[in-house]
Amino acid sequence: MPSSPFLCVITDEAVCPISLAEKALHGGAAMIQLRHKTASGSQLFSWGVEITRRCRAYGALCIINDRIDIALACKADGVHLGQQDLPASAARKLLGNSRIIGVSASSPEEAIQAERDGADYIGFGHIYPTLSKEKGFDPVGPETLRRVSALVSLPIIAIGGISKSNASLVIGHGAAGIAVISAVSRAVDPVSSVQELLCSLQQGGIDG
Amino acid sequence: MAHNTPHNTPLPRLLLISSGKEAPLTGTPLLKQLQLLPRLMPCMIQIREKELDAKQLFQLALMAAEIAREKEVRILINERADIALAAVLHGVHLPEKSCPPDKLRAVAPELIIGCSVHSPLSARIAEERGADYLLFGPVFDTPSKRKYGPPQGVDKLGALCRSTSLPVFAVGGITPQNIPSCMKQGAYGAAGISIFEPGSGFVATFEQFYNTLYQ
Repeated sequence: MPSSPFLCVITDEAVCPISLAEKALHGGAAMIQLRHKTASGSQLFSWGVEITRRCRAYGALCIINDRIDIALACKADGVHLGQQDLPASAARKLLGNSRIIGVSASSPEEAIQAERDGADYIGFGHIYPTLSKEKGFDPVGPETLRRVSALVSLPIIAIGGISKSNASLVIGHGAAGIAVISAVSRAVDPVSSVQELLCSLQQGGIDG
Repeated sequence: MAHNTPHNTPLPRLLLISSGKEAPLTGTPLLKQLQLLPRLMPCMIQIREKELDAKQLFQLALMAAEIAREKEVRILINERADIALAAVLHGVHLPEKSCPPDKLRAVAPELIIGCSVHSPLSARIAEERGADYLLFGPVFDTPSKRKYGPPQGVDKLGALCRSTSLPVFAVGGITPQNIPSCMKQGAYGAAGISIFEPGSGFVATFEQFYNTLYQ
């Protein structure tokens, strides 16, 4: 895992994932998650190959959402699994110990289960209201994040409505990193939005 | 011509494709079909359930594999080689526009890999990339495929079979009565979806298909 605090940029279905990844890496993101629910397997594979190659060049990690087969085929660094995806325990058998497995959690129970199942990190959220994904529940808030970070020893990536104005606060509440979609993908200048987020993250230990 | 699986056993000539109507967890047509399968008649079953998420597919695959243990059936899943590996299924069936078969073979050498193809060109690409078999259709008229236009017909099936050395399964409106016309065109096997609805006629239909394919 990247050293804390770090930034993960998740691809946006409305934006070309390769150019987004390139900009995010250029700005200093340590992790790119390729997430596209409607693309074909062949398209995902090609994107996965390209983004993995770019991540290597920048010393960053490429994580594929849901599709362990694609992650294996394109030699990505790992997978990110939602609660409706394959269980982390099954994924571990396919990926071995050298590949990273992240699991989405939105409650302390799911986070604890993810740790038991052998995940390497927990994507926890959504912390704040977000427009990027349709959510069936209220934001969990930074206090729940603090509670979960005390309950599990895995690094937590906070997700959902994170911006440069609250990034330092979530790091102060125990997150090892943050994940964003629209804060970068829909920014007028994605490279500087990444740089600004990283700048805010660095202040997490101070005023968080 | 004999064709083998990666395990060096003969590739069955009969392929059942699931209905696409599996409910998560209980009482599914697929599990009923598996229970009804005659014990000593080899076939393949392709789990093709686009409405289920990966977790539900994995659970279905585990249940199917459990029932299949004592039968001569090879279970494949649509597209998701990871679920095939996780549930220890026999193979994966790739729609066109899937992850390239050679890339999957490199990470999953034990899987049977089938490819849907709609033209001699895509058949050639699938063969170059190491597919184990091809699925071509719809050969005959079938209600579920009418929205895609007229069926391909037996002549195009023949052209496709001649363009490849891989075993080709004909799909789309296949019946025991028209199987001989497909085999005459070079088809290795036949596939069906709705004709294998797991009701009272299932075993008789299955045996008719089987006996026609293996006579």
